[in-house]
Amino acid sequence: MSMSTILTKVISRLIFLPTFVTAVAILVKGYFGAGDGFSAGVIAGTGVVIQFLAFGPRELFARYPSLRRAPLLAWSGLLLGLATAFAPVLWGDPIMTHYPRPGEEVPHLGLLAFHTAVLFDAAVFLLVFGMIVSVLGAIGNRYGSEGVDS
Amino acid sequence: MPEEFRVLAPLIVAALGTFAVATLGAVRPRLAPPLAVATAALALATTLLMPAGGRVDLAWAPTWDLRLTFAADGLAKLYALLATGVGLAVLTYAAGYMPRHAAHEGHPLSRTVRLYSLILLFMTAMLGLVLAQDLIVLIIFWDLTAITSYYLIGYEQEQEASRRAAMTALLVTGISAILLILAGVLLYTRFGTAQLPDILAQAQAGPFVTATGALIAIAALAKSAQVPMHFWLPQAMVAPTPVSSYLHSAAMVAAGVFLLGRVHPLLDLSPGLQNVLMALGFASMAIGGVLALAQMEIKRLLAYSTIAQYGYVVVMLSLGAVEGAAFYILAHALIKSALFMSAGAVTEATGETDLTRLGGLARSLPLLAVGSGLAAAGLAALPLTMGFFKDEVFFAAAAERGGVVPVLAVAGAVLSFAYTWRFWGNIFLGPLRNRVERIPWTLTLPVLALGVLVGLGGIVPGPAASLAADAGEAMAGRATPLQLAYHFDLRAPNLMAVITWVLGVVAILTAPRWATIPRAVARTGDRYGPDRGLFTAIIRLTTFSRRTRAFLEVRNLQWRIATVLVATAVLVGVTIVFAPPWPTFRVGRLPTSDWPLFLFLVLAALSALVATRSAGRLTLVLSLSAVGYSLAAVFTFIGAPDVALVALLIETMMTLLLLAVLGLLPIELARAPAEREPHPGRRRAVGFITTGFVFVICWGVLSWPAPDATMARAHLELSPAAHAADVVTAILADFRGLDTLGEITVIAVALLGALTFFASRRSA
Repeated sequence: MSMSTILTKVISRLIFLPTFVTAVAILVKGYFGAGDGFSAGVIAGTGVVIQFLAFGPRELFARYPSLRRAPLLAWSGLLLGLATAFAPVLWGDPIMTHYPRPGEEVPHLGLLAFHTAVLFDAAVFLLVFGMIVSVLGAIGNRYGSEGVDS
Repeated sequence: MPEEFRVLAPLIVAALGTFAVATLGAVRPRLAPPLAVATAALALATTLLMPAGGRVDLAWAPTWDLRLTFAADGLAKLYALLATGVGLAVLTYAAGYMPRHAAHEGHPLSRTVRLYSLILLFMTAMLGLVLAQDLIVLIIFWDLTAITSYYLIGYEQEQEASRRAAMTALLVTGISAILLILAGVLLYTRFGTAQLPDILAQAQAGPFVTATGALIAIAALAKSAQVPMHFWLPQAMVAPTPVSSYLHSAAMVAAGVFLLGRVHPLLDLSPGLQNVLMALGFASMAIGGVLALAQMEIKRLLAYSTIAQYGYVVVMLSLGAVEGAAFYILAHALIKSALFMSAGAVTEATGETDLTRLGGLARSLPLLAVGSGLAAAGLAALPLTMGFFKDEVFFAAAAERGGVVPVLAVAGAVLSFAYTWRFWGNIFLGPLRNRVERIPWTLTLPVLALGVLVGLGGIVPGPAASLAADAGEAMAGRATPLQLAYHFDLRAPNLMAVITWVLGVVAILTAPRWATIPRAVARTGDRYGPDRGLFTAIIRLTTFSRRTRAFLEVRNLQWRIATVLVATAVLVGVTIVFAPPWPTFRVGRLPTSDWPLFLFLVLAALSALVATRSAGRLTLVLSLSAVGYSLAAVFTFIGAPDVALVALLIETMMTLLLLAVLGLLPIELARAPAEREPHPGRRRAVGFITTGFVFVICWGVLSWPAPDATMARAHLELSPAAHAADVVTAILADFRGLDTLGEITVIAVALLGALTFFASRRSA
């Protein structure tokens, strides 16, 4: 089935960058409103899935070869999550302790809070986004040659 | 430097070294050996600098009194020295051995990097194990040694024998490790702490302690390759020589008797258990010794000798001679690693592994012969070597117990004497039978160094004795002085030693007369031994599992889903109907403010109806996503923006992914109508049963009046303290952060599965 009209191609390319901006925004503002690392990861992933639909796997990965490294992103997300969770044990706090502790001041840069929970959220983001793109890449690798490449 | 750091320094060095060797070696394989040797040297140095009695206490989950504790007591120090010191020798040896080995086997050099990093990982695991003061850390590192040994033994992954040996080792040590975990859980629930010193202090003699002690002992004996769980060890010698050398002396096998030592007070509360241990120790000495006499392959001979030698240690521990056991372990580790490495060097020089085809190598490999000879003299317990004292402490402990024990001790020592001669004499003495290649100095030097240490230990036994005394104190919890010197009088150990030598020489001289007996024993063992039993059991269990699955499995995807749905709905639904956890099913009001919400519910229902009627796959996908979007809208009306957002995103993702997959299908297949279920009646029945019960469940839940004080309220109140304006994010990242961590780990595992699945389908 041909899903790749000029219109879809143009629109999908136009919204590619904005999806990432939205994703990062949701990740950063997670501590102030709805949304968190998971939602942000899915939004960013959606951006890539739309490109996949519009251009087909071959063209997508030819255009953005760095997407092939997505598994690396996922693993580093897992490592970051584990590190944020377990690092406090090294100086004698229970696992999953976040800093600054309750009652202390959290430094801010705009909406971005310098809080380790945000770091943990970023780990979730990396893992979810990496997972979506990796699976997409694997599907494309396996079936791409018989697929839509119009 | 803080004391905490000094205690953990060897562990940290080894762990970082493992990582560095693995990553750097992947880029430049030639850098791996020097880096590995340097890591081992640094780990040894930091071990020497460990502060005596230093402790590290890290909070893990303080509310449950779970802490990660490490301590550098005498026992830890002794084993850490062995793990790093022998590790240094082994890695130096491997640096010379592995490139040649890779060339023989036709492996790329990059394969050897794995061996260096795995040996370092093994060192890390041993260091963690011996430093651990609480059961959790101990069990984690215990399992890490089993896993590492699996990869090391199975290094030659192309060879069936190698894979089988690795699997056997993993099964024997892994299954028994479950008993250790069981014992750990029992002890934790009984005493409310996982701290070993606290547990050992509180333990009282009784059936509970005997049972947990037995569980721990089984795990330890399996690791130390004691009868009847010994068979994995001789098979494991298919691994490259550096691996065998390390496994048999300072790691893996040593871990078993280490554990027996660590929980010695617990075992000592149960004399019956100690007697069983003694019997198994003697059985291992006998079987290991006799089978060592039957072996033709040099590494196999040494492997059986390890079983026998750890039998000595188990006997000594059961006799309460903890300081003697510690000394024995130290001496044996030096001796056995030297002997294994000399066996490997001999094979490298001649290409032979068979005792009957070797001989006279003393002239062509003099330095190796000296190093190996010192170690062999030690194994045979000749004076002026450390080995003399290892047998002396053994004989002293046996003589103190009296009865039949000294006789058995001497018998075991005679066997050691005989097989040691068989090993060294056959290789180095007699007429030269082989063409000898030059071997690099890295193959000879570690053997010579260890041999000289064995010799020095026999002349100046003080340092080794004080190490052993400290280790004994850590095991027994009381001072256990150990003074070693030569006494020229008629004390029992001296007499027993002399008897051993005389009988040993007689045994060697009469060897041709009895040589067939050990071989007959070996054949019987092959035919009826526990090895055979294990594999029969595994094959039967696999068959059983396959048959059960074939019987239970529902192959049709629709019916599989139906099975899950109906079973869940009926089980939960029946519980709710017959034992409702809330009082009533109420019919609430529908306020006008909820009309929009209701509208979207109707929309969801309509879309669902369309989905059941749709003919094409595309319509199906779109109508299903319409259901999802309608429900997401419902969540926004309820005032759950986070849930609505996630529902919306997931729905979008699912729709797009389904479309993407549809797009990859051949066009005719994608356009073809979904297959019709041949039994529409059955399908309707499944639908009605499931939805009926789900309806009851939902109705019940919605009738349940929301209690005031719930966890949700606490979460809302705590959010500001967690610096979060959004409670859902605070729950995910902070309050229930451990759950999230578990979930992202599951995602990662799922990703690994998906990638492997697609990759394997590709190659198929």
